[in-house]
Amino acid sequence: MLKFLQLAFRNVFRNRRRTIMTLLMVGGGVAGLLLVGGFFAFMFRGLRESTIRNGLGHIQIFNAEHFRRDEVHVLDTGISDWQHVAFNVRSADHVRGVAPRIEFYGMLSNGVKSSVFMGSAVDPDAERAMSFSPRLASGRDLAESSSGEIEALVGTGVARSMSVKVGDGLTILAVTADGALNGIDVQIVGIVNTGFKDLDDRYLRITLPSAQRLLQSDRVTNLVVGLDKTENTDAVAAAFTPRLRGLSQQMTMKKWIDLAAYYKQVRTLFSGIFLFLGIIVFFMVLMASVNTLLMAMMERTREIGTMLAMGTPRPWIVALFMLEATVTGILGAGVGLIAGNLIGIALNASGLHLPPPPGLSTEMAFRVLHVPALMIGSSIMVVVSLALASILPAVRASRLQIAEALAHV
Amino acid sequence: MSTKDALVTVEQVTRSFPLDHSAVTALDRLSLSIHRGEFLAISGPSGSGKSTLLNLIGCIDRPTSGRILIEGVDTSRLSPSQTSVLRREKIGFVFQTFNLIPVFTAAENVEYPLLVQGFSNTERRRRVAEALDNVGLSARANHRPDLLSGGERQRIAIARAIVHRPALVLADEPTANLDTRNATQLIDLMRDLNQSLGLTFIFSTHDQRLLEHTPRIVRLTDGRIESETLPETSHVEVLAASIS
Repeated sequence: MLKFLQLAFRNVFRNRRRTIMTLLMVGGGVAGLLLVGGFFAFMFRGLRESTIRNGLGHIQIFNAEHFRRDEVHVLDTGISDWQHVAFNVRSADHVRGVAPRIEFYGMLSNGVKSSVFMGSAVDPDAERAMSFSPRLASGRDLAESSSGEIEALVGTGVARSMSVKVGDGLTILAVTADGALNGIDVQIVGIVNTGFKDLDDRYLRITLPSAQRLLQSDRVTNLVVGLDKTENTDAVAAAFTPRLRGLSQQMTMKKWIDLAAYYKQVRTLFSGIFLFLGIIVFFMVLMASVNTLLMAMMERTREIGTMLAMGTPRPWIVALFMLEATVTGILGAGVGLIAGNLIGIALNASGLHLPPPPGLSTEMAFRVLHVPALMIGSSIMVVVSLALASILPAVRASRLQIAEALAHV
Repeated sequence: MSTKDALVTVEQVTRSFPLDHSAVTALDRLSLSIHRGEFLAISGPSGSGKSTLLNLIGCIDRPTSGRILIEGVDTSRLSPSQTSVLRREKIGFVFQTFNLIPVFTAAENVEYPLLVQGFSNTERRRRVAEALDNVGLSARANHRPDLLSGGERQRIAIARAIVHRPALVLADEPTANLDTRNATQLIDLMRDLNQSLGLTFIFSTHDQRLLEHTPRIVRLTDGRIESETLPETSHVEVLAASIS
């Protein structure tokens, strides 16, 4: 077997120029996939982290009823003893902070005009502790102060349609937990650009005590948990399970990936693009390799005839060609891994930036992540494509008529 | 001499090749018996059917009609894999163009038939050393074929053909690519191996000078045996040598 492997290995380097060209082609395919895949991975990571830090958090805890039925009144399915729940999970490893939130709806008015809003009530200090800050277009974030005016942030669309700016006042109306109508006056301290136009046209953010006063309830919709690293999400979620048992309400939790619909859409789209690129590379390698291996087979017709004449079993000839192709694939993958990683390092060091993507005003850094799974996957892909490419030449070689093969010139 | 104890028996063998709407007959109802330990030359002009006959005896081609028996086994009844086993174990081949595997060293080329037969590492090493010694090329064991002369390459090819001690060595025009001196040396080597190891050699040639050393010569013309030289003593000597 070792001798057979030696034969395959030496045959690979028989025609050095052709082998080098094949290795460059295979290596180029692998390097290309690593660079594109590495850039996509960087984009995914950036989008993931911005999605989490824009307020989604790593884990959200809800009253289990929240997903079982629609609310009749606001906070009907909210968490009542939320301080106790927060206390239970805050002490788990990797937890940076726990922030209570209330999601609510209502009407807002500037005295002349009214509009629907989507409200979010937060504990500003708890949010800031987890680096969850709203993206401010102007003004400042909410303060926890309870004296004086009730502070509010509104989306850029709300500010435009209501013709308000930082320092102006608005009246907000909402249905309380008892089903009555209640209203409060708020002062705008900041204008927020969430990055999503539809949300900006409806967005309102006030402090948790203000919302509880408006809604006449001490419940919260959910608790948002921030972790030290996104990679710890699964482990922390597992650790939360026993901590959420035996409470007065049955709790359930959602990981960030379950709630990040936009992130999943983007990832699916770019994964599709990457798959398409992978298929193109796969077929490029396959077609070029079939041609190269057929040429190699033609050149070695007499040698194959000699081996068959000496009683070499035909399956051995098939195995030899497939082994040679596999060796070429492994070497090509090695070349691609080295080239792809070196080019990636050089690109990362160059500080290259891309023009701002749609919806953003800042340039996007061009970085290539070194993803082990991508390296393994693309290497396996080229090795498999070369092994597949060798089947036709290998079978042809094994089926040669010995007398004709020996007479081949 | 009866065909009963023959190593190779060729019975009424015809081999024709289709060519457009007709057929070319390379061998025409040819019969021949070859005994163990013989040193036999098949001569004749180009196109007389020498290579076709060797291919048929070597089981790398099948007759259109007639049959060939090797050690009493009718080769036409064997399956392709059985034929492959027969070639592997019973026959050694020497080709006009040497046909060594260029990426293997001389020793590795000689080792190849043993590898295919699944000999142990130790046994392979022992037999390769012995075969290289038989052809006088022990010193060139680690050289690649491209670093060997034509004569040396053909001697390596002979070592490869005899390393597994086949019943029969077939050499198709083994001296065609060699100069006269190397050609004569090669035939002498084959003759020595024939006599010392009792190996049966069948080779084809159209070089008349080489036939002087050959006890039995079958001359072919147009696929038929034109004449056969069968010296009275030579075969008996060979048999006696092989028995001793």
